Amino acid sequence: MTDTAAAAPRGRPARPGVVGRLGEHLTIWVPLLLSAAHLVSFSLWTIWISFTPSTLVPASGWVGLRNYTSVLASRNWQIAFDNLLLFGSTFVLLSLVTGLMLAILIDQRIRGENTLRSIFLYPLAVSFVVTGTVWSWLLNPGIGIQKLVHDFGWTSFRFDWLVDRDMAIWTIVIAAIWQSSGFAMALFLAGLRSVDADLVKAAQIDGAGPIRMYRRVILPTLWPITITVIVIQLQFAISTFDLVRALTNGGPGLATQLPALVVYDLMFQRNLLGRGAAAAVLMLLILLAVLLPYAAWRYFWRRRATHA
Amino acid sequence: MPITTTRRRLLAGSAAALALPAFARAQGAVKPRLTAISQWSAGSDGAAITALGKKFEEKGGVWQHSPVPGFTTEMMNKLRAQIMAGDPPACSQLKGPEIAAWSKIAPTVDLDAVVAAAGYEKVVAPDLAKLHKPNGKWIALPLQIYSTNMLFLSKRAMDKAKADKVPVTWADFNDLADKMKAGGVAYPIANGGTRPDDGQKFEASLAGISPAAYRAAIMNLDSKALEGPEVKAAFVQVRKIADWMDPNVGAQHFSTNLKRFVDGDMGMMIMGGWAQGVLRNAGFKFDDFTIAPGPSDNSKPVFLLNADAFIFWQRKEADLQAGQTLMAQLVMDPAIQTMYSQITGSIPVRTDVDLSGEGWSDGQRRTAAALKDAIASNQAVLSVAHNMAQENGLTAAMIDVITEYVKNKTIKPEQAVTRLAKAVEGAR
Repeated sequence: MTDTAAAAPRGRPARPGVVGRLGEHLTIWVPLLLSAAHLVSFSLWTIWISFTPSTLVPASGWVGLRNYTSVLASRNWQIAFDNLLLFGSTFVLLSLVTGLMLAILIDQRIRGENTLRSIFLYPLAVSFVVTGTVWSWLLNPGIGIQKLVHDFGWTSFRFDWLVDRDMAIWTIVIAAIWQSSGFAMALFLAGLRSVDADLVKAAQIDGAGPIRMYRRVILPTLWPITITVIVIQLQFAISTFDLVRALTNGGPGLATQLPALVVYDLMFQRNLLGRGAAAAVLMLLILLAVLLPYAAWRYFWRRRATHA
Repeated sequence: MPITTTRRRLLAGSAAALALPAFARAQGAVKPRLTAISQWSAGSDGAAITALGKKFEEKGGVWQHSPVPGFTTEMMNKLRAQIMAGDPPACSQLKGPEIAAWSKIAPTVDLDAVVAAAGYEKVVAPDLAKLHKPNGKWIALPLQIYSTNMLFLSKRAMDKAKADKVPVTWADFNDLADKMKAGGVAYPIANGGTRPDDGQKFEASLAGISPAAYRAAIMNLDSKALEGPEVKAAFVQVRKIADWMDPNVGAQHFSTNLKRFVDGDMGMMIMGGWAQGVLRNAGFKFDDFTIAPGPSDNSKPVFLLNADAFIFWQRKEADLQAGQTLMAQLVMDPAIQTMYSQITGSIPVRTDVDLSGEGWSDGQRRTAAALKDAIASNQAVLSVAHNMAQENGLTAAMIDVITEYVKNKTIKPEQAVTRLAKAVEGAR
């Protein structure tokens, strides 16, 4: 494959024939088809399993929607779904705002921009398990931030969200924002840098101040990027697993259950493959509820762009 | 180096042939081989199974153990994959009612003849024996026993409370906790925040209040017993325990707090016998703590059984079959059980092993004595927190309710009773 690609003449426009571009076609299509087949076949298989009475191992048979009704009726799933709504919305919103603010600040042609950018992007290079573990230490009232402040002398200070049932979900929001707002920043920064310089100059000539300039001129051009960031962060939020497993493991009690934890728990700890598959399909449906509107939006947006 | 190994193996092989003439004749020229998987890779567990492997090799066998470190679930995933591929290990770690559940998905070995030859059945606790012969035939063998409701008392906390008597009933226990609190022990109960930890507090409470109610409600899932007054009383006791615990434990492992326990900053710990090994490994002395059976309101010890076991999967290969026979004989052997338990800190499955000799701790002797008494008074029951009483799905559903109750103090005991009964109904 590589040989064919290397043998293709370089620098000259390639011949349009299929044979001449065999290398390119192979490079693109073989992995694409393989991964698509993988994805589709396993998804279909999971959907099939979700309608069977499988427990320890996959079993044939048909139980209709029984797995779905029992998952939907379980406390675990209900808590997980509520948490997902809360976590998903606040996490996406806050990481968006943080990312945008960082991007705007870095965009002020400051010194050491590269260093700062790397620092903010660095958390993305850290595995979620590491993030979760480190934050579980920082947020633990007995050994982390609360203890540090106590040792400084402010003994009435309280920051025990990690062990507080009502606040524990916010510790996951904090850790997730720390991890991924650098990513939002990078996308926004690229967007800010691609704003037409003439537009900015024209606004300056018209006498717009910096705040007005951002609000009225620059930010409106960023909204396609904003939507991309929202969608990417949302699908991350829906599939969050390792972060919460390392940080709270769904606790205290069941307070920080998330759908992916429920799937793992049903499949591998309770040995209920059928119900676990049903929960996984429900997660897929939630994902589709985000991704399909996005795909539709992109389709119409492109069409409008080409027509205009 | 390779030469010595071969020579040693040869010597060991011939010694085994001399020692086991009947066995050697029956197996002919086949060299017994055993493929095994377990989660025991490190610490005392890893050391114990390695020692067992050495014994297996001394008897002329080929020992092929592949540990899957981490949680039991990961070991189970490997087992599941191997079974589905039609290539199960000759023997694998598995315990409790999971033995019955898994035996339905692949054929297992009938061990009745080997067990009968060893006269094993009469030296095993009856409830425990039942788990290993789901359809009336032995297909698995227990390896070692722990009690999940041992009571560990911190010497320094006892001094602070000016107490020297080991509590026998729950009333004694609560009394001592109050005294410790008054004497300056910050948290009278030492605890972790994991699911099994919370489950253990509940099972120790219920079984200590009434072993009969525990058997009916948790082991037999009798719906009347599940909503009975004893279960409610157990939840009331669990709330008391929870109020004495450090709320900051989060999801920590119990071992995180052992130093505070020994220092007398925490007073009592309801934990499995394995905590003795962990305490000793952490460098603490036997003088630092006392081990006693968990509280029991009728003053006779209650024993919450947790037992590790091996299940044997059917294989066609003659060498693997010979290996399974040899392994079964070894696991039932009192000398092997002694060796194993002395490494891990558990007690032997056989109730006829003498623990008075060297190599045993007072805690182990007390545990073994408690087991004997508990069996005699029918107070040896199966632990739910450690997956001995019910299959994993049901266990998890019950622990969900218990762990939420421990962490959420707005849930009332009667609400917890209703939720427990509902969770059981939903998971059945």
